[in-house]
Amino acid sequence: MIYSLLVLSSPISGYCSRSAAHFAQCVIARGHSIHRVFFLDAGTVASSAYSVFPPEEGDPVRDWMVLAEQHGVDLVICVSSALKYGMLDQVEATRHERPGPTSNPMFTISGLGQLVDACAHSDRLITFGG
Amino acid sequence: MILHTLNASPASPAFYDCAKVVLAGDAVVLMGDGVYAALPGSKGCAELQATGVELYLLIPDAQVAGVIHPAAGFITIDMSGLVGLTERFPRQHAWY
Amino acid sequence: MKQDGKKTVLVVLKHSPYGSSLAKASLDVALAAGAFEQAIDLLFLGDGVLQLLPDQDSHKLGLKNVSRQLASLPFYDINSVYVDAEAAARYNLDLTKAPIETRALEQKQMHQLMVGYDHLLGF
Repeated sequence: MIYSLLVLSSPISGYCSRSAAHFAQCVIARGHSIHRVFFLDAGTVASSAYSVFPPEEGDPVRDWMVLAEQHGVDLVICVSSALKYGMLDQVEATRHERPGPTSNPMFTISGLGQLVDACAHSDRLITFGG
Repeated sequence: MILHTLNASPASPAFYDCAKVVLAGDAVVLMGDGVYAALPGSKGCAELQATGVELYLLIPDAQVAGVIHPAAGFITIDMSGLVGLTERFPRQHAWY
Repeated sequence: MKQDGKKTVLVVLKHSPYGSSLAKASLDVALAAGAFEQAIDLLFLGDGVLQLLPDQDSHKLGLKNVSRQLASLPFYDINSVYVDAEAAARYNLDLTKAPIETRALEQKQMHQLMVGYDHLLGF
């Protein structure tokens, strides 16, 4: 089956974002494919390139990067949410005259059309919030 | 058939609304703060058990919270088990 | 799923309009779906019914007015809007004054509605 995930939770608040990454790993382990993970609202903080986590807490941002690096999972952060949360790639940083990018390049900044596309092309659309 | 993921404590509006909407044939998975509804003898536990739906408890989240002796009627699952439920249920709704 | 093979989506709005950013995010999703001609319907459930209060004035706080966004939904062909009758009654809402026409549903009717969609987006 083809899965897409909608992640609304920040990796800083609670652990729902970590659970979503773990879920994604299990989806792949069970032989399914992931069309896209779409991060919206506070979920876009998952793309933070500058967050520093204490070693004993693990790195929730790294969890998502591993999915992209090892399995080619498409990680997309919603542009309007990303801007508000300060997650900018180089293009947006230049456009908005900010000193530099703040989002990890493994994440793509794009519009809600990507979420709509995910709905259209997935057998399962799983939302993680709270 | 709906798979409800409940990530909110039994005192929350989300919990109330979830319990209001579910019908037999659905399943509820307790995760995050939702795991407290598996505390035996608790009001939230009784409310969920009264709905007649399949009840599941996500083990890692229950362990984090210290809910290590869940009430009867909750089937404990790991994350792979949650994926398995999404294979069976065509649609999921997140409560939080 | 619709007969043409396209997926159907129900956006379920469960939060008040200004206490979090979820209401605005969910309406942006609905409008984007309409713009991309993805069939989408809305269900206001629980505290989500508070988005339907008619006299919202968010201007002085610099917030986008949720009720005005709702009023624009029909222009995006979003016409099937449902509301949780129990929550509306709990808040004593006059739905005839809501910014958009809605159909009130009891609990079992809401469940019946939800099982008719391929995807449920819960906000």
